Amino acid sequence: MKNHPVAISGAGCLCAAGMTLDESFSAMLRGERNPKPPVAFYSSHTEKFPVFEIRAPLPVPGNDVELLRTTRLLFCAVEEALADAGLEPEELGELRVGVCVGTTVGSAMNNEDFYRSFRACAEPAMTAIERYLRSNPAAALVRRYRLDGPCQTVVNACSSGTDAIGLGAAWIRSGLCDIALVGGADELCRTTYNGFASLMIADPEPCKPFSSRRKGLNLGEGAGIMILESDTFLKKRDKRARGYLLGYGSAVDAYHLTAPHPEGEGLQRALAECLATGGITAEKVAFINSHGTGTPDNDRTESRVLGKLFPATPFVATKCFTGHTLGAAGAIEAVLTLASLEHQLLPGNVGLGIPDSGLPVHPVADNLAIHGSVALSESLAFGGNNSALLLGLEVG
Amino acid sequence: MDIKTKLKQVLIEELNLEDITMEEIEDDAPLFGEGLGLDSLDAVELVVVVQKHFGVEIKDMEEGRPALQSINSLAAFIEEKQK
Amino acid sequence: MMGMQINGLGLVGGFGCGKEELLSVLEKGVTPVSQAGLRDHLLPLFQADTAPLEKYLNKRALRRIDHFSRLALLGAFEALEDAGAPEFARGRLGVVIGSGFGALNTTFDFLDTVIDDGDGCASPTAFSNSVHNAAAAHISMQLNLTGPSLTVSQFDQSFVSGLLSARQWLSEGRVDAVLLGVVDEYCQVLGYCWERYLGRQPGSKMRPLDFDRISAIPAEGAAFFLLQPATGSGPKYAIIDKAVMGQLWGGRPGLIAGEPLILGCEGHPLNGRIYRQQLSSHLPVACYTPLYGASPVTPGFDLAVAALSLKRGKMFPSADRGGDYYSGSVVTEPRQNNRLTCLRYGFAGEYAVISLKGEG
Repeated sequence: MKNHPVAISGAGCLCAAGMTLDESFSAMLRGERNPKPPVAFYSSHTEKFPVFEIRAPLPVPGNDVELLRTTRLLFCAVEEALADAGLEPEELGELRVGVCVGTTVGSAMNNEDFYRSFRACAEPAMTAIERYLRSNPAAALVRRYRLDGPCQTVVNACSSGTDAIGLGAAWIRSGLCDIALVGGADELCRTTYNGFASLMIADPEPCKPFSSRRKGLNLGEGAGIMILESDTFLKKRDKRARGYLLGYGSAVDAYHLTAPHPEGEGLQRALAECLATGGITAEKVAFINSHGTGTPDNDRTESRVLGKLFPATPFVATKCFTGHTLGAAGAIEAVLTLASLEHQLLPGNVGLGIPDSGLPVHPVADNLAIHGSVALSESLAFGGNNSALLLGLEVG
Repeated sequence: MDIKTKLKQVLIEELNLEDITMEEIEDDAPLFGEGLGLDSLDAVELVVVVQKHFGVEIKDMEEGRPALQSINSLAAFIEEKQK
Repeated sequence: MMGMQINGLGLVGGFGCGKEELLSVLEKGVTPVSQAGLRDHLLPLFQADTAPLEKYLNKRALRRIDHFSRLALLGAFEALEDAGAPEFARGRLGVVIGSGFGALNTTFDFLDTVIDDGDGCASPTAFSNSVHNAAAAHISMQLNLTGPSLTVSQFDQSFVSGLLSARQWLSEGRVDAVLLGVVDEYCQVLGYCWERYLGRQPGSKMRPLDFDRISAIPAEGAAFFLLQPATGSGPKYAIIDKAVMGQLWGGRPGLIAGEPLILGCEGHPLNGRIYRQQLSSHLPVACYTPLYGASPVTPGFDLAVAALSLKRGKMFPSADRGGDYYSGSVVTEPRQNNRLTCLRYGFAGEYAVISLKGEG
């Protein structure tokens, strides 16, 4: 059952907390966040729900306006990760490279302006449609670097990023490619903003996962990418791994379209598979990056499971710094987990306030030194998908 | 049309309860769990229904839960808010 | 990598529902085309009817389930029934679904509620059902499945991408079987965009082997397969022993000389020209897309036809028999065969190759 560990040779991310992984992680350690109502679009809700928007202009890889913002965010994170791995973009076309990327907005044909115009019986310009057709995240990456290998865009809602990483790692293990660009990306948009507001799970204040005063999530945007690599290829390049993907598990609640199973049955199964494939028992896990959206339901279910399976393990809910970045979330959180392992440090949960006493466990309130080389990152998604990744600094 | 009758009508239409007639919805029967058997997704849809058809806003589920118990409680809530 | 048995087929499209209806149009060589209203005129469409779903689920269960998820549910239920309703432990049947465009009608229904009723009155039910993995979620809930579930979306490469993941899971022993499906629905916005790009079509029979001609007709439907590892006991239909997705700039797909091809061309000159450039004319080919139309589901239907052909040991006559516009060898008579390859070229140099063999 134990999987062969897959080397992580590079990582990159951008989100509201920072334009690179280092920037984001440092900002979290300083307890910084500034969620505000969105600037990029208008909404007529009486409540102005805060979002974690990337307000700075995107660096060069992200400036092709012919592409959806989601894909541009992805390109930025990929460039950072490739540079981190010491891989030249120009050499990728000669190698066997796979791409597995999660998203929600990046695959949605929901351009509101186009649709309004269509409904009004006008003949809208096809620009928005063309942009959508050329922006499928994984396909766009394949075209950008002229790759020839497995290519997949995962649309498993909020667990897409976690799943894309786990699925891409399997390709490396089975020799389908030597390198895999894996992760997720998503942009803020009016449709998802209105959608989550309609479900009454958006917090009108900055989100506070696991807090007694939590009211829901804040949306965010960003991208997270890992470069996965086979041992042989990494050795041939004479490079070292930053870390390893040790295990992956996923399972479905089969319970409800939007609400998680109250006892977190699917999450428990996913965690069991993750630990088994990683060859690790629960006590060895140094910390957990939780899904921790800040909604009453998610945090209740998740803390029940964590309290049952990992009662003494510290955990973080980094969405208090990034917002819920949907298809990017699992990927951003995986790279943040790697950063925490490397620094042996967890960022304290800003906004936690008084933790909900009805929950068996709570995230760390202040920065915490941790000791251990193995950590877990989990995601719970609409549709009842639950996924978890086990990351480590060493192979054994 | 009185509030209760209109509520039953929009409930059936908006929640797509094709197999139920208005007469079958009892005023005091629970809407969630047993009774009509609606769930949490129907609850938030009902919030939109109430806003759209009666102009009454339910700000959050703390306010919403007691109001959404039955046709009676919902009608009373709407009447109160419309004053 | 190990082979996969196709042990169940669940098919719904313009030809009807079930393999018998697909077999019927394969014999006749033609499928009647519906008409869908689009603004002030009609557009030809291979429309799929989900009424047979009532065999499996009652009205109450279907209350909040939209057309997209109904197509998927019907495909899934039919595939399992066709396989003889095998029993699996809840966590040992995986679900993999590909969709080119997802739940389009519900996506726009949600936008309708935003536009008509305001941001504050948007429908949460419509939003929840518009997420791409809603169909997979409904399948898991109705069939009470708790194993891994994956939904992928990359236009017309969605099916082969999902197939590769199904193979991966089976090879690793993560699951004992996979319900693999591809599903897409028609919606007016899609129809509008179609006409903006391709112009209005008369709706006459598609001629995909006429590579320079626009003859594509839009379609919707679902193609589901019950896949299991190739073991000692033979498959119900066929064994998939090769599945590759790639890019032409990385080299041409390897094809076996003399082995007949089922071509996935659909009457779009944009990828039609790639078929013309890449194909050597002496390879015997067949094209069945005129029987079910052009959509990201088409590669799934092609695989189903391949599976049905191998089960009976003979290829069906091509639905496009060629003529003065195609000089190569076209399968026009039932032809004995124990191996087939489905070949599809995309619009930007991507390709998909799926090869199968019959039993024995």
